[in-house]
Amino acid sequence: MNAILDLVKRPLLVALLLIVGLLLLGEWLSPGFASGQQILRLLIVAALLGIVAAGQNLVILGGREGIDLSVGGVVSLSAIIAGNLMNGADAGIPLAILACVAAGALFGLLNGLGVTLLRIPPLVMTLGMLGVLQGLLVVIRQGIPSGRAAPGLSQFVSQPFLLGLPGIIWLWIAVGVAMALLLNRTIFGQRVYAIGSNEHAAWMAGVPVRLVRIGIFMLSGVFAAIAGICLLGYSGSSFANVGEQYMLPSIIAVVFGGTSLAGGKGGYTGTMAGAFMLVILQSILTTVNIDESGRQMVFGATLLVLMLFYGRGKAMRA
Amino acid sequence: MAAMMTGSTGLKRWVERYPFLPALLILIVLLALNGFYQPRSVSMAGITGLTKTYLALMLLAVAQTYVVYAGDIDLSAGAILSLVNVVIVVLMQHWGGGALSVFGAIGVGLLVGLACGLINGVVVAALRLQAIVATFATSIFFTGLALYVLPVAGTPAPAAFWRTYGGRFLDIPFVFYAVVVLALLLRLLVRMRLSLQLLAVGDDAQRAFQSGLAVTAIRMKGYALCGLFAALAAFCVTGDTASGDPLVGGKMTLFSVAAVVLGGSALAGGYGTVVGSVFGALIIGLINSLVYFVGTPSEWQNLLQGLAILVALMAGVIVGRRARA
Amino acid sequence: MSKLKLGGVSKAYGATMALRRGDLEVEAGEVHVLIGSNGSGKSTLCKIAAGSVRPDAGEVSIDGQPVRISGPQAARSLGIGIFYQELSLAAHRTVAENIFLPDLPVTAGLFVDRAALSGRAARYTALFDGVAGDGLSTDAVVENLRADQRQLVEIMKALATEAPILIFDEPTSALDRAQVDRFFDILRDLKGQGRAMIFISHRMDEIFAIGDRVTVMRDGETVATARIADTDQAEVVRHMVGEAGQGAQAAAPAPVAEGETVLAVRGISGVGYSGVSFEVRKGEILGFGGLHGQGQSRVLRAIFGAHPVASGEILLHGTRLAARGPREAIRSGLAYVSGDRGRDGVIHGRPILENVIPIHALRQRLHLANPAALRQKAQAAVEALRTKFAGFSHPINSLSGGNQQKIVIARWLIDRPDVLLLDDPTKGIDLSAKADLFALIRRLAAEGLGIVLYSSEDAELLANADRILVFNGGRVTRELTGEARTRFNLTQAAYEAA
Repeated sequence: MNAILDLVKRPLLVALLLIVGLLLLGEWLSPGFASGQQILRLLIVAALLGIVAAGQNLVILGGREGIDLSVGGVVSLSAIIAGNLMNGADAGIPLAILACVAAGALFGLLNGLGVTLLRIPPLVMTLGMLGVLQGLLVVIRQGIPSGRAAPGLSQFVSQPFLLGLPGIIWLWIAVGVAMALLLNRTIFGQRVYAIGSNEHAAWMAGVPVRLVRIGIFMLSGVFAAIAGICLLGYSGSSFANVGEQYMLPSIIAVVFGGTSLAGGKGGYTGTMAGAFMLVILQSILTTVNIDESGRQMVFGATLLVLMLFYGRGKAMRA
Repeated sequence: MAAMMTGSTGLKRWVERYPFLPALLILIVLLALNGFYQPRSVSMAGITGLTKTYLALMLLAVAQTYVVYAGDIDLSAGAILSLVNVVIVVLMQHWGGGALSVFGAIGVGLLVGLACGLINGVVVAALRLQAIVATFATSIFFTGLALYVLPVAGTPAPAAFWRTYGGRFLDIPFVFYAVVVLALLLRLLVRMRLSLQLLAVGDDAQRAFQSGLAVTAIRMKGYALCGLFAALAAFCVTGDTASGDPLVGGKMTLFSVAAVVLGGSALAGGYGTVVGSVFGALIIGLINSLVYFVGTPSEWQNLLQGLAILVALMAGVIVGRRARA
Repeated sequence: MSKLKLGGVSKAYGATMALRRGDLEVEAGEVHVLIGSNGSGKSTLCKIAAGSVRPDAGEVSIDGQPVRISGPQAARSLGIGIFYQELSLAAHRTVAENIFLPDLPVTAGLFVDRAALSGRAARYTALFDGVAGDGLSTDAVVENLRADQRQLVEIMKALATEAPILIFDEPTSALDRAQVDRFFDILRDLKGQGRAMIFISHRMDEIFAIGDRVTVMRDGETVATARIADTDQAEVVRHMVGEAGQGAQAAAPAPVAEGETVLAVRGISGVGYSGVSFEVRKGEILGFGGLHGQGQSRVLRAIFGAHPVASGEILLHGTRLAARGPREAIRSGLAYVSGDRGRDGVIHGRPILENVIPIHALRQRLHLANPAALRQKAQAAVEALRTKFAGFSHPINSLSGGNQQKIVIARWLIDRPDVLLLDDPTKGIDLSAKADLFALIRRLAAEGLGIVLYSSEDAELLANADRILVFNGGRVTRELTGEARTRFNLTQAAYEAA
């Protein structure tokens, strides 16, 4: 019993064990599921979710009910902007990246300003922003013909790039390293944890709480924008609301990675595992021979059971 | 100066007593603007159409309000709506589509909504999982159930059902009777002890517990009530669309949350009204129609709607806070 | 036979013993006073009786029958009503709703009976007619009430339980004279009805005005019970202070402070304090004394920019300081250490190193956190306090309370401040940590820092402060210097009616 309780305190270990277990389960249900090629394919899908979850991770770590519902909208927007600017030509890639990152940062800034200066709860602010982004998507899509990914980008995402791994996996690794450095080796990262863990104490210790929180939301927008570009490369062309599928799963990946929704506790390594786990779980459910309804029911129920492993609320009576 | 002071505190008292007042004000302004740009929109037919389309969202917003009262949230409200929608459509078809089958299906629909709400209550209040992620998980589960009941959209609702919903009695559209019944129902519910207890729990759960309230049971009842109202919303959707669709409610969840905030309730709990949420749902509807009536090019409509709702949300939060500060 | 009896009750929160051994017997028809200094376990004892805290050990019996109190609801049905010191009111609800929240009158089993609610609530608000002040009506929203009115509502809420056993945990702290008198009339009336009542107050005059018996608690234990008629203030104070503290007074003669004035506070007022003036010289330790919550913390926070100042001025090295927040105060050379380290100090769950360096990072405008370099800086600061810890990368919560506080203090030592504001810094920490801490404080003073020390433990003040300002009701009411710095004087000054 104690051993189990100890496990619960190590979410990363739990996630890794679950990943291995799920891969074995998949292999058992459908031989070939855990082959190298197949795992690589899963990792590409997980990388897309994982990069969105990086920003979500920061927002949640920063506490005060931090949550970013607008990431899905930014992913879609970025995919469309990138598609239009590239329009199938490699020459457009640099400009596309620049424009997408700028757009992501801008919407993150707006979220951050709303949350800090106007003190709008993050859920409300980013929900409203999601509506604006969805409207913007319609405008852009109707004004300009839908774009295509540059061949270089598609290659980067799905073809071997270095040491047999596609570029997007390297990118994900780079995001992982960058997040680890940001969170552990910069004062900004420490301040993210500080405001998430104890905002009042952080303020008393001179942490510029508002600036840090604005920065967090901007980074969330930037990560979502990067994921949008990659998603364009993955799917070839942009279509409306492709990003919506990342909104709530990015939160679940963060939670399954052991980051507390209350803020201040967790990290990105776990989130990477959480994203991978979520993708494997979904993939197993598509592999086995049950229809969509069964898949969804099993998926929902599995999520609930897994949540029991991650921090339940406190009892009323101490 | 002194007069101004009493003026502002007088306003504060009003807003405090009726937190939906700012929403009502926005609603009236929007109605006037709608009428200005499209006089027919404030005619009997216009209002009927608006009510017919947005009655479901009003009910779903009411559903969401009861969990928000206690500081919780239900991201599965839309999925419950979808599930009830397909359950009643399939049952009515199965039972022949007569009046009896309609009543039978409505009864079962209410039970399904209640059961879903109770599941959420157990998961969030008794098992103490985070409301936002736990109800997202249950929403996937409920959507799965809905897909099981009806794998693809399209099964028509029996004519008896949607003709009633879209029809008239004594020259008055049915939906107006529905609105009157809803108003009476809300009037009763406002007086219900549970409403007060939910608000007290949302105010400060620990204090409510120390006062001797059964906090877990109260939160569970809130979710149950939410499930029931989601079922009512499903009946309206079924009447409006005249068919079953296992994904019909998915998009409505976030709008129901927005409507609650627009109505002046605090997402943190402890403060709000169901009437406000009804107004919030109507504000969303009127913003959508106004954007259309002012002649916005079709591709710009969604953006304008999104911006207007964002501004209204921010204004709602700020005005509400000012009023309470 | 006692109406309510608690025997050998104890409660620990992690390593902290909130209550070691609580014993209390209350008779029907008496007002039983519970007294003891801050943190002596009174509130925990009361909460255990009211069901909101689960005891680790001990027995509770009512009318001689052993009972198990499983929660607040169970306590109510056993006939125990309570006034919570921190209040249990829902801010957005009305007075009437709050008074009857646990037991709302209903019709048809579902609907709140508004008429009955306001009618019944009016009976309780009427008890304070004429002394409650404007705005306290049954339909007033609690959030809009003044602090004293909220306290009255909590009293009404406790009275409305009509329970045979009533517990009042500091019900009079915000009330004025007339309100207290009215409350006492009510208590006398209830006494006549045979109710058993527990009453906690820090005002000695009140205790002797209303109490029948008094039980004294010290360090989480019940130390004495006596009939009020058979005792006097001096004896009660002696029990509160304990044998060891009887003769305690300033250990060292006050060093003559001749340094220049580093901090001057001129008539500052704000919420919870008014007209506070004092000066601190280089190398001086100025003590703040008095009962807890008399404005000492607020003054310290106000100087640090963490609590608003409505009027008056603060001078640092003779120049006016108007910190809009702690950031500016820190940059100007102020340091502040709170005793509520869980709320104000500790960054929970984070490594020790991250808890030491935020001030250094701010003052040196760092962006990168190079662990090796920072560790070196932190090492010296932490060693100055003889902190015991396994490594800088361990989470701060792995340390004992005393060592956590040392880490929080160490963050101020990398870049030395000019003035150190200590807000009850030793609350809930062990004796050896306290000794280390005060050794450091004295050393820092010797190095020329100006130090303001508020402590809720009189012995600490007496042993360390060169001068003591006694606070009462947000004002400085006494200054104790030299020979006058005795425990008796301090306790007496603190317990004087404001």
